[in-house]
Amino acid sequence: MGFLDTPAPYVLAGLALYFLTYMTYSKYIDKRIWNADPNRPTPAKLYFDGVEYFPVSKYVLFGYQFKSVAALGPIVGPLTAVLFYGWVPALLWVIFGNMFIGWVQDYSAMMMSIRSEGRSMGPITYKLLGGRARTILLVYLVFYLIIITAVFEWVIIDVLNRVPGTFVAVLFVLLGGVVFGQMVFRARMSVLTSTIVALLIVLIGYFFVTLVPLARNPPTNFLDNPAYLSQFPAPPGTNPAALTWPGTNTALFWLVVISVLYFVAAITVMPKFLLPTVYVGYLPSIIALVLVLLAAIVSPLTGLTIQQKAIGSLFVDPLENPQGGPIWPILFVTIACGAISGWHSLVSSGLTSKQLEYETDALPVGGGAMMTEGAVALSSIAAMMVLATPPAGAAAYVTGATMLTSRMLHVDPVFMSILYGIFITVMGLITSMLFVRVFRLTMAELFEGSILGNKYVATLLILVLAGFLAFVGSWTNLWIFFGGTNQLLAGLALLLVAIFLTSQKRPSAYVFIPGIFMAITTLAALAWETYVYGLYAWLNKPIGVQVAAAKLYGPWVVSISNYISAAFGALLLILGIIMTYYLISGWLKYRKEGAK
Amino acid sequence: MGILGKIREVIEGMAIHGQATSILRIKAQIDNLFMIITLGDMLGIPLLPPYYSLRLLPYMYPNIQTWKMYMLRERDVTDRIA
Repeated sequence: MGFLDTPAPYVLAGLALYFLTYMTYSKYIDKRIWNADPNRPTPAKLYFDGVEYFPVSKYVLFGYQFKSVAALGPIVGPLTAVLFYGWVPALLWVIFGNMFIGWVQDYSAMMMSIRSEGRSMGPITYKLLGGRARTILLVYLVFYLIIITAVFEWVIIDVLNRVPGTFVAVLFVLLGGVVFGQMVFRARMSVLTSTIVALLIVLIGYFFVTLVPLARNPPTNFLDNPAYLSQFPAPPGTNPAALTWPGTNTALFWLVVISVLYFVAAITVMPKFLLPTVYVGYLPSIIALVLVLLAAIVSPLTGLTIQQKAIGSLFVDPLENPQGGPIWPILFVTIACGAISGWHSLVSSGLTSKQLEYETDALPVGGGAMMTEGAVALSSIAAMMVLATPPAGAAAYVTGATMLTSRMLHVDPVFMSILYGIFITVMGLITSMLFVRVFRLTMAELFEGSILGNKYVATLLILVLAGFLAFVGSWTNLWIFFGGTNQLLAGLALLLVAIFLTSQKRPSAYVFIPGIFMAITTLAALAWETYVYGLYAWLNKPIGVQVAAAKLYGPWVVSISNYISAAFGALLLILGIIMTYYLISGWLKYRKEGAK
Repeated sequence: MGILGKIREVIEGMAIHGQATSILRIKAQIDNLFMIITLGDMLGIPLLPPYYSLRLLPYMYPNIQTWKMYMLRERDVTDRIA
């Protein structure tokens, strides 16, 4: 076994390149293009109100920014890409995408907001391009949130079903969150005492599940008969009874459970349920993340070698394998977060930009958090590399991370498998709860005074729509849709920054070129995926694992889901084209004005 | 600040900063209600007779500037995403 046969050199190379980028290219952009000046007052100082605008330490903001951007995206995307295209293309995109596009977007959106009095993406779009562009952005956001909620729902359902015991442990995390919230806000106890109590509850849950086999219930596919599941064609080398099949009773059960959690989180006051849960859930997640990254780096010592293919198929016929596609553009949208993500531009300009103490803090906070997320994506690729026959879906991460860390720590794999089951589920749950909440706020803005703007109606609407897509849909195709919309949002944010810089008579090529690349790539990916969904809906055929739902309810149910997905895709494609047109013509207009 | 202090702040940011900001927003809404009732005339909403507003003015004075800025700032749904 040579050093190069382990994941370590590739993970280390990625980390070294990120560091090099941070020390050279990003500092150059910060100094020469934006001319960041620690003496120029930031919105936090200029518009101090002690509520949203107030200066906060860059370390606190880094932690906040990282927490807000890193969720399931940098984990699930890379492992899906490794499965289809091999680990080399996935690794290259995670490294170079982040070096030249990823951090650029996060940092530049933050700087643009700082220089625009702390305004977020909506008002900046309104100011630079007008009211229609802002409304299109919001409509786009609505569809994006439905798709991302559906994708995360399916990922969580899959892990809850295939890693028994995860749900019991997650219940303890949620209980810890509620207890923490009550102790701090109702009983007015200290944060430290409340944290210790909440963490004790989480630890009790964790050891209860790992040490008591009875707690690892309900088992996989507990509401469905194994003989009944075996009739569906499973991927080669996998056991049909160990997979999660869309449309089954078990999938429906877990869908209802998480929908109830989403509903509660969307309509209750944030500090009562959502935020304490995020707080308590994030602490074990940090440990899980650090452990897997360390385990990948020390893999030459633990003896784990690369088992995955270096390069997979570069083009996939949609009729043979509808869940893949040509490497361009599909790879570039399969890996979204970790390389580049549009969601980050919304976070960067949402709260962080209002609280930066100095302009020069934008680089370590925005750029630094994105590069740290790149490290998370590298750990996901490493976890996938060591698996010879990975299970489908997010369970692959649990299996790979368990293998890496249990070998490093010399512990029973059950301990690590439950930890990573909790990690994936909690990360998915807390971000999805936020998505559902943002959806209802956006609907309230778009449909003010109408029934659709009502908080209960809007919440139920997203739960029903996303739930339907997750229940009968094939998750990898939805994932590509999510990647397409997310990456297009990133391209649009980059183009918006290019317009802003041009309006300020500053060079904009470093954002304009990546913006155009991302816009073209993602529009092509959306067109491809719309074509695949449309083709299968037209042929009345199920895509991949949709076969179970088609057999259970009839092919028409799956076709309806595919028609809805194709319609979503077509709509997003049209909106994306219109927004790209607005942005490019806006950039040309400001450029022409600057030349006069 | 030492390395431990920096790590503590990063964890604080990950775990509690969003929560703290959310609580500040809720508190600000309650404070704003009181300010609107007492000094609403400053925003064109006269709710109390000016006599009482004037009596309360010395106590409210330190917060007037930031309150007006907070109340009159344009807001968008994309501000609430993080």
